[in-house]
Amino acid sequence: MSHRTPPRFVIRTLVATLATVAFVLSAVLLVVTINAQTSVRAGVVERLETGQRLLAELEKRRAQELRAQVTTLAENSTLKAAVDTYHTELRTTNAAGRQDLLATVARELDKLAARIQPDVLEVRSASGEVLAIAGRRAGEWPAFARVNAPRQDNDAMFVTTPSGIFRLASVPVVLQGTPLGTLSLASALDERYATEISELSGAPTLILSDNRVVASTLPSESLLGLKPEVVQAMAAQDPRFVTLAGSEYAVRRLLDLPAPAPALMGHPSGAQVYVLDSIDASARPFIAKALRTMGWIALGAFTLAALASIWLSRTIARPIDTLSASLSSMTETKNFENPLTPGGDVLEVDALTITFNTMIQSVKAAEEERLSAYLGTIRALALALDARDPYTAGHSERVSALSLAIGRCLWLDDAQLEVLRLGALLHDIGKIGISDQVLMKPGPLSGEEYEIIKQHPVVGARILRSVPFLEPHIPIVELHHERPDGKGYPHGLRGTEIPLVASIVHVADAFDAITSARAYRPARAASEGLRELWRCAGTQFDAEVVHALAKALPDIDRFTTAADSGLRPFAVPVAVRALRA
Amino acid sequence: MFSRVPFRRLITPLLVAGALAMVHIPDVRAARVSGRITGVVHLVALAGMPLRSGAYPSRRVNPKTPDAAEIENVVVFVKDAPTEQQVAPARASISQRDESFVPRVIAIPRGSSVEFPNFDPYFHNVFSLSRALTFDLGRFRKGDKRERVFPRAGVVKVYCHIHSEMAATIMVFDHRLYATPATSGSFVIEAVPPGTYQLSAWHERIGETTTPIKVVGGEEARVEFSLPVVEK
Repeated sequence: MSHRTPPRFVIRTLVATLATVAFVLSAVLLVVTINAQTSVRAGVVERLETGQRLLAELEKRRAQELRAQVTTLAENSTLKAAVDTYHTELRTTNAAGRQDLLATVARELDKLAARIQPDVLEVRSASGEVLAIAGRRAGEWPAFARVNAPRQDNDAMFVTTPSGIFRLASVPVVLQGTPLGTLSLASALDERYATEISELSGAPTLILSDNRVVASTLPSESLLGLKPEVVQAMAAQDPRFVTLAGSEYAVRRLLDLPAPAPALMGHPSGAQVYVLDSIDASARPFIAKALRTMGWIALGAFTLAALASIWLSRTIARPIDTLSASLSSMTETKNFENPLTPGGDVLEVDALTITFNTMIQSVKAAEEERLSAYLGTIRALALALDARDPYTAGHSERVSALSLAIGRCLWLDDAQLEVLRLGALLHDIGKIGISDQVLMKPGPLSGEEYEIIKQHPVVGARILRSVPFLEPHIPIVELHHERPDGKGYPHGLRGTEIPLVASIVHVADAFDAITSARAYRPARAASEGLRELWRCAGTQFDAEVVHALAKALPDIDRFTTAADSGLRPFAVPVAVRALRA
Repeated sequence: MFSRVPFRRLITPLLVAGALAMVHIPDVRAARVSGRITGVVHLVALAGMPLRSGAYPSRRVNPKTPDAAEIENVVVFVKDAPTEQQVAPARASISQRDESFVPRVIAIPRGSSVEFPNFDPYFHNVFSLSRALTFDLGRFRKGDKRERVFPRAGVVKVYCHIHSEMAATIMVFDHRLYATPATSGSFVIEAVPPGTYQLSAWHERIGETTTPIKVVGGEEARVEFSLPVVEK
C-alpha cells in the first residue's frame, strides 16, 4: 500500500480560494468583454445613426446653401445680359452669330466661375439647351445630365456620373419676370466631402458610384477588403454590418441615388454614400481599459484571497496542530488522566476535543472494567486453588499481605508494592495444573511428584504471559522458588539474579507455610517460623528480606488476622496502576 | 486754291454718291409718289382670356410716374426695307428712373445718339453685350448722364450692371420705315416707296410678328396686328 503525504491544509485552501477567485474573475472578464462588445456595438450604431440624422439635416442645409449661392449667381447682371442678349439676337442671326452669342455667355459664366471656383457651373436656355459650362470639373459634366426643373422645396438634387456624385442646385435666370434659362451649380461629393463627413460624424466615409469607390476615408487596409462583391452587396442590400479585412464594421447609408430608368448609355447604375465604423477598433480601448482594471482587481482579489485562506487555514490548522501535539504527548507519556482543554478558537475542533475526552473516558472505563473482570477471574482462580486444600485456604491472601508488609519495610515504591501485591496473590497459580493427588498427598512426595511440583512456577508464568497486563508479575510467579545459593528452581538463579519482589514472596510463602498447619504437622508460632527463616537466611532465603520480615513482625499477627478475616476487594485504581506498570 | 488732298477727299464720295444715285433712280422716282402704311396694334389675351389691366406689371421700384402703356414697347417696322445711305440721325433719351429704363423700348435711325440721364438717387450703369454694339458707359450718379451714338443697325440690349433687373432695348434701323404705336395702338409709316414688303411688329417677349403688305404710290396701306399676350 503506497502512502502519499497529503498536502498541507494551507496549500489546499490557497489552491481552492485562488482557483475560485480566478474562475470568478475570468467569468467577470468574459461578461465585461461581452458587455463591452455589445455596448460598443450599440454605441457605434447609435453614433452612426446620429451621424446619419445629423448629416441628413446637414445635407438639407448644404442644398439650401448651394441653392442660395446659385440664386445669387443667377442675379448676376452681366450673365443675365449675356443670356438675354443671346435670346434677343438669336432670332436674327446665323450659325456664326450664334457661336459669338454662345461665346459671350461662356465668357460671363467663366468670370463667375473664376470668382467662386465651383465644381460645375452650367447655364441652359429656357428650352433646356446647354449654353455654357464652367468650373473645375466641367470636363466630367455629362451631356446627358438631366437637370430637373428647379423645385421649390429644399431637397437636394443629385447628378450621378461615372466619375462621381454631384450635388446640384438649379435656379431660373429671370429678367423682368421672364425666365431666360436655368443656372445650375454642382458640387462634387469627392474626397474633400468624404473627409468633411468623417470629421463631423467621427466615422470613416465611403462614396460609391457605379459600384466603384469614388472617395473614401477608410484606412487603406479596410479599403483593400472592399472587394467588388462587397461593394455590390452594399449597393444592392444596404447591409447593417459588413466585414472588411477581417474586422466588423457597422454601416449606415447616408445617401442612395438609384440608377435612372430607363438606363442611359454610360450612365452609372447608381451611387451611394455610407458612413461606417469598425466595431472592433472602437471596442479595443474599452476592453483594454477593462483589462487593466480587471488586472488591478485580480491582483487585489488574489492577495486578499491568499491572506484570507492563510488566516483561515491557520485558525483551523493551529488548533488541530495543538490538539494533535497534545494527543501525541498523551500517547507518548501514556497519561490519559488529564482531559484535553478545548482551544476555544474553532467550535468544531473544540467539539472534537470534547468528544475525544469523552471517548477517552469511555475507553478508560471500559479498560478498567475489562481489567477488573480479568483480575476478578484470576483472583477467583487463586482462591479456588487455595480452597482445594483446606490447609492452604487463605494462603495466597496471607502471602500477599505479608509480602506487602515486607515490601514496605524495604521502602519499595507504590508501583512495586502493587506488583508485589498482585504477584504474591497469584504466585502459586501454576499449581492449577497439578493434580490433587500430588498436591494434597499427605505423605512425602516421590522424586517424580516433586518434579511435578517444581513445574508450577513455569506453568504459572506461562499462564500470566497470555494476559498482557499481568506481565509485571511474571518474575514473581516464575522465580518465587529461586534461592540465593542457586539451589532453587526452576532456573537455579543466584543472589542478585533473583528480583527482590520474587525473594520477598519466597520468604513470605515460606513463613506462611511454616506458620500454617499441615496435614502432617500442626501450625508453628511466628517466632519459631522466623527462627527457622533466620537459620536458612543467605542460603535458602535472602537475608535482607528475612531481616525486613523480622522488622515487620510486630504487625504479623495483625496481618495474619486480617488475612484470616477474608478477602479484601481490589480497588480499581490499583488495577489501573498495575496496568500502567 | 484746290490742293490735291481735299480734291481727292471730295471726289470719292461724289463718285460713290453718283453711282448709288444711278442704282436708286427708281426709288428716288417712287419716293415722289410714295404711299403710307397705317395700322393698329392690339395686345390680346391668349385663348380668349380677358386681358387683365396691367398685363405686364411694372418692375419699377417705387414708381412716381405712371407706367407707359405696354403698347408703346412695340416697334412696327418694314423688315425688308432697303438700306438708306443718308438717314437723318436723331437724338433720343432713355431715363434711369425708379430702377428702370424709361422707356424700355425705343427705335432710332442709325447714327443717332441716345442719352441716359440718371434720375435715381443712386448710381446706375449702362452696358451692352450686343453684337451690334458692345459698350459700357460706366457708373454715374444722379443728375449725370451718359450718351452713346449707335452707328450700326441691329438690336442693342442695354443693362445696368448694378441693377440686374434693368433692361432696355434700342432698335437701330438703317432706314426710316419704322414706327412706335401710340397709346391707342395706331401707327403711321410715312413715305414708303411702293412695293411689297414684310411688315413686322416686334415685342421684346413676343418677338416678331410679320405680315406681308403691298404699298401703292399715293395710297394708304392698312394693317392690323394682334399680338398675343404671353402670361408671365
